[in-house]
Amino acid sequence: MKTLIFNSDSEKYRSKPKLTVLTRKVGLFIASAILMIYVLGPVGWLLSSSFQTEAEIVSVPPHWIPHEPTLKNFKAIFFQEFEEVTYENRSRVDTSAGGYIPTTAKYLLPSMWNSFIISIAVVILNLLVGVPAAYAMAKIRFWGRQASIYTILTTRVIPDIALVVPFFLVIKNLGLLDSLSSLIITYLAVTIPFTVFILVGYFESLPDELDKAARVDGCSRFQALTKVFLPLSVPSLVAVILFTFLTSWNEFLLALMFTQTISSQTLPIIVAGFTSDFTISFSFINAAGVIAIIPPVILAIFFERYIVSGLTAGAVKG
Amino acid sequence: MARIIFDNVTKYYGNVKAVDKLNLEIQDKEFLVLLGPSGCGKTTTLNMIAGLEELTEGDIYFDDQVVNFMPPHQRDIAMVFQSYALYPHKSVYDNIAFGLKMRKYKSEEIDQRVRAAAESLEITHLLDRRPNQLSGGQRQRVALGRAMVRQPAVFLMDEPLSNLDATLRISMRAKIKEMHQSMETTFVYVTHDQAEALTLADRIVVMEQGIVQQIGTPDEIYERPRNMFVASFLGNPPINMIQGALVGNGDQITFTAGAVNFTIPPDYSTKLSGMDGRKVVLGLRPEDVDDHRALVEGETIQGQVNFVMPVGSDQYLSMRVNDKEVFFRVGKEISHKNGENVSLAINVNRLHIFDQTSKESLLWGL
Repeated sequence: MKTLIFNSDSEKYRSKPKLTVLTRKVGLFIASAILMIYVLGPVGWLLSSSFQTEAEIVSVPPHWIPHEPTLKNFKAIFFQEFEEVTYENRSRVDTSAGGYIPTTAKYLLPSMWNSFIISIAVVILNLLVGVPAAYAMAKIRFWGRQASIYTILTTRVIPDIALVVPFFLVIKNLGLLDSLSSLIITYLAVTIPFTVFILVGYFESLPDELDKAARVDGCSRFQALTKVFLPLSVPSLVAVILFTFLTSWNEFLLALMFTQTISSQTLPIIVAGFTSDFTISFSFINAAGVIAIIPPVILAIFFERYIVSGLTAGAVKG
Repeated sequence: MARIIFDNVTKYYGNVKAVDKLNLEIQDKEFLVLLGPSGCGKTTTLNMIAGLEELTEGDIYFDDQVVNFMPPHQRDIAMVFQSYALYPHKSVYDNIAFGLKMRKYKSEEIDQRVRAAAESLEITHLLDRRPNQLSGGQRQRVALGRAMVRQPAVFLMDEPLSNLDATLRISMRAKIKEMHQSMETTFVYVTHDQAEALTLADRIVVMEQGIVQQIGTPDEIYERPRNMFVASFLGNPPINMIQGALVGNGDQITFTAGAVNFTIPPDYSTKLSGMDGRKVVLGLRPEDVDDHRALVEGETIQGQVNFVMPVGSDQYLSMRVNDKEVFFRVGKEISHKNGENVSLAINVNRLHIFDQTSKESLLWGL
């Protein structure tokens, strides 16, 4: 065989440089570890401190693993084991020793139920309204189609705070103040544009010919949507379900404006209220926080395999 | 069983006229091809038959029933799309069965029909697969199967072969022809490929800018194009067009353009009588030369060879005539050199003559 003649630089590029491979791996590992700590640190502390007493929570350095784990906070939530703190007895006990449970602790579970009802209702109504709307905007050529898409998009750039007063007047005149429906209605106004936006993008990325094929095969418009488009849009639908559920679950501002009693107050309102009690029990608030993140976490685990593809599906349409 | 009639059908997209006053009668069991360049309105016409596009004016009939606004699922049609449009979430079996399920057939009937269709298309072994596990040709067969199980009254095809490679396209063309013969239904087929149109069609409708240019059998369209558009759209390489004038000389009419002089045969000259001095365009198909015949005055074209393109069976000559490039197809026996001056005998019985301004044929007009 003929000997190949090569210049001295060739050797340099013959194989992958070893050092850079190692450096890159180590670098990536460190970077992702930092990110993990940054993201999971607060959640870890929330979880850990919810099993600590008020005294342990303030110890320096902090105990990441509780030395004297206690279920007292959770008992207070589920069995209403709390000592009411009044003006009279407030100085009898040393607050730093812990043991104070806010007077509103008994509202935590009812408010969670309220949040749950509202979130589920918002998710279902979003799908009922958003899916047909998005299909129509993506696949039916009608007069004013572009305008309606832009209008819906525009409503998303208005900050919620600007809508609070108009919303309040509407809700008040409808006589819905302090009711679950007031929140369902306003959350729909906030979330439906997003739902339609995500789904229009996704439906547009599905070929028109698929729609035509379905209709020639014997589907009405509605059947084309339910039998062909919906099964193909599961990732986008999951993204929509998660987004609307979490938005409704976490929403604070509108809930603060429209609700006054436990008949309609939601979880964020009640939890925020714990800080304005006579005494503030951080361990108890953290226990409430743990309870509050359970439903979203369950939802996320359930839909886990669809989340990533769903969030990018609308964005990267070709 | 379906005859389709377009009665003065016009379709606008906004202000754009996609189809202009279309009058067309598609016979029962006919294989009709809509042929034209992209944007000529052929797919719009097909979609109007399917009910996927609404017409703006006029009426469409299936037999004697007006169907202008009948939704697609109530029409007895099946359609094959260029992109196949298979349902990605369904298996091949379910793709084919879907139309029957939607029409509430019994499951034994569905099963029997799906398997029969799969067998005739040789895709039985693919029935459990998903569309994304199939090659282009296999997907095309599934799309055909999905349409044929329904045994529709009208079978619509929108450029079904244009995404396939050349060899597959020719074998699928034969398959489609075979399907038409065995199914005995009306086929309407849209294409921009003249070879597909010529091989498949009973009749061809040539369209351009929403207007029908000519309707006829493949032979009529090719041999007697009614205008310059039809003449130049069919034929590969395309027909040569030479601008010139008619000169009357007693009973005899001659076409002259610079060095080119053709004697018009007597059959045609009667049609052209009294057109002395008329500015015309002469059409000469590349294959209408004969390098075996003796050269006769008035039936010869002369020019300089630009280059030679062998195409296996014969060779194409690119020649410069009157400073314009023309193509001719000649046999392989004679080798021509670049730059050589060549005289070729032409078949004057196959000339086409068009008016320069109206672009209509003076020989095969209405």
